[in-house]
Amino acid sequence: MSQRTLNIAHLYPDLLNLYADRGNILTLVQRLRWRGIDVTVTEVTHRDTPRLSAYDLVLLGGGSDREQEIVGEYLYKFHEDFRQAIENGLPVLAICGGYQLLGAYYQLPNGQKVAGLDVLDLYTSAGTGLPRLIGNVAIDSPYGVIMGFENHGGRTIHHHDPLGKILQGHGNDGESGFEGVHYKNVWGTYIHGPLLPKNPGFADAVLATALEYAGQPATLEPLDDHVEQNARRAFLARRMPEVDIRLLEGDSNGVTAETP
Amino acid sequence: MLGILIGKLVTWLLRLRGKDATSFPGKVALKVSPKLLHQFGKKIERVIVVTGTNGKTTTTSLLASMIQHDEPVITNHKGANLVQGIATAFLQHANWRGKLAAKTAVIEVDEATFPLIADAFPIVVTVVTNVFRDQLDRYGELDATVEKIFSAIRKTNSCLVLNADDPICRNLGLRASRKTFYYGMAHDTARHSERRQMRDGQFCMQCGQELFYDAFWYGQLGLYRCSHCDFTRPHPEFVGVYQGKTMTLSEDSLPDIQLSMPVQGLYNAYNVLAAASAARVVGLWAGPIHDGLADYIPPDGRMQSFATAAPVTLNLIKNPTGCDSVVQAVVTEPGGKIVVIGINDLAADGRDVSWLWDADFELLSEDDGISRFITSGFRAEDMALRLKYAGIDESKITIETDMNKAVDLAISYGVEEHLPVFVLSTYTLLHPTVHNLSAKARENESTNFEYRASVS
Repeated sequence: MSQRTLNIAHLYPDLLNLYADRGNILTLVQRLRWRGIDVTVTEVTHRDTPRLSAYDLVLLGGGSDREQEIVGEYLYKFHEDFRQAIENGLPVLAICGGYQLLGAYYQLPNGQKVAGLDVLDLYTSAGTGLPRLIGNVAIDSPYGVIMGFENHGGRTIHHHDPLGKILQGHGNDGESGFEGVHYKNVWGTYIHGPLLPKNPGFADAVLATALEYAGQPATLEPLDDHVEQNARRAFLARRMPEVDIRLLEGDSNGVTAETP
Repeated sequence: MLGILIGKLVTWLLRLRGKDATSFPGKVALKVSPKLLHQFGKKIERVIVVTGTNGKTTTTSLLASMIQHDEPVITNHKGANLVQGIATAFLQHANWRGKLAAKTAVIEVDEATFPLIADAFPIVVTVVTNVFRDQLDRYGELDATVEKIFSAIRKTNSCLVLNADDPICRNLGLRASRKTFYYGMAHDTARHSERRQMRDGQFCMQCGQELFYDAFWYGQLGLYRCSHCDFTRPHPEFVGVYQGKTMTLSEDSLPDIQLSMPVQGLYNAYNVLAAASAARVVGLWAGPIHDGLADYIPPDGRMQSFATAAPVTLNLIKNPTGCDSVVQAVVTEPGGKIVVIGINDLAADGRDVSWLWDADFELLSEDDGISRFITSGFRAEDMALRLKYAGIDESKITIETDMNKAVDLAISYGVEEHLPVFVLSTYTLLHPTVHNLSAKARENESTNFEYRASVS
């Protein structure tokens, strides 16, 4: 087999590192290494210029409102490049604050708008007097059931495809019944708990997409995921009683870029 | 005087309602008399201050416990280390006319609070345990902390008791230019592997060049020397040889003292060493140091040991930073071991267990001595998954969601393999586990006794 290699960029870990992004990166890295695929993770700090052409996958994590504003300012300088790269299929995984940043703006409760990257047709408002949307969450997605924890004040509205349909929890705005966004090879979500370790099917779909984008064979040989499946079943059984556990029966190992 | 009266009144009222406030009476009294600490400062003869990032509370309690064998001591033993907490400690030891019941105080002080109280008291000794960065993402924090401690020391006439193994403490000692006693662990007990979590003190604070380490204990604590100038780890006046249950304290030409450790773990060994060194500096002999250690009762879940059939040590974990220091303490224990990790996600634990992915469980994968892991609690499966991604062989991991059964299983493995058990647990699992282990330890004692009786 030809030697495959993947370059992952973690954008602004110095500012957006609020929730367990390390768990997401660890999952991507380990699942590649277990398959003998080389991987480098570049941490792009706020002092660096992101070199979008050098990356096969970009991760944007979550941060506080203030930090998000700072990141927005830094990244906005490159937003045209960013948009172009996304149109050309750059895989981007954006969590929580990073998800909000993909949109036009984030409106604070006082009405002030924090500008986003404006690469997706999406906006977020904090909404006055509305409760934060906190708790365990599960969604039905083309990648199987995705589960984790959500904790966000913002309500996000967009006209793209969602990442999935809420099975239990709040999702984008607590009302629409949908969670996250999926546009081209961009995935945005409020699920941070952390997203990838307990959702190996989705993690592999992201990796397969990134390999394909890098022009490499995208078929991933199956891994022994029984520890993951155990954690998924236990989580649904104990923490997500509204979700039919039989939905997990379709979980399979080994994903190619063609699925969804 | 009015402040003291009102503070006493608040303390008394709270006591009537069965409450033992550690800060509130001081807060009220300081509102009325902002100079309250200075008033108390004139009435006390000597104050020993303990500051630093980690180990303040334990070191303070140990030192107070030692001195208490010689004379009464005022101390803020519950870790209330801000101005209000310190004022409350003095109020509790004052009568209604403001007269203090002791001539010596041992006070734990938060690093940022230290400059605020430094000129209020006759501080004779300042102990700095270590200076670590509290959280990764708080830039500038470390330098600011060092400056605060330095500016406070300059306001006092105190001598210093510093951790020789911490280059940041050493630099503090050099800058403060006054009588300084260093304590440190014996040379040959350091480990030779380079630790990647060393984030602080990588550069010489005298000349800015890179520091080299001949060996490490943990964090930036180690045998450091500058590649460029003469900055190096000093030879400590007080040297500790940590042997797990005991520690030998060597002091220049004096005979060694064998100290029995009331708390385990390398970071606690540093606390014991700091307290014993400070006790020596204030003139205590071995007797009260021994007695003080024997009297000390650690709070639940701080490397708390139980004399069960296989010995168990229990630790509370609740956030990544604290969890890292516990994991470190476990892996620095010499020899083989069995590890139980219980994770609940009830309201008191925090319903979000994402922090498990920010904690450095990877360290556990580097300890070849750990023969088995048992994960437990409502999130046992999530913990098992975390261990898998930390690089631990799946065949070593067992899931037992019932914490009592998990501990039983670990003890039975421990007996079989002659290994001690280390239990890490979140808040809501801690007290039931203390209860369970205490009962087991009693049972074990009585069976041992019967056994001994039958053969004698």
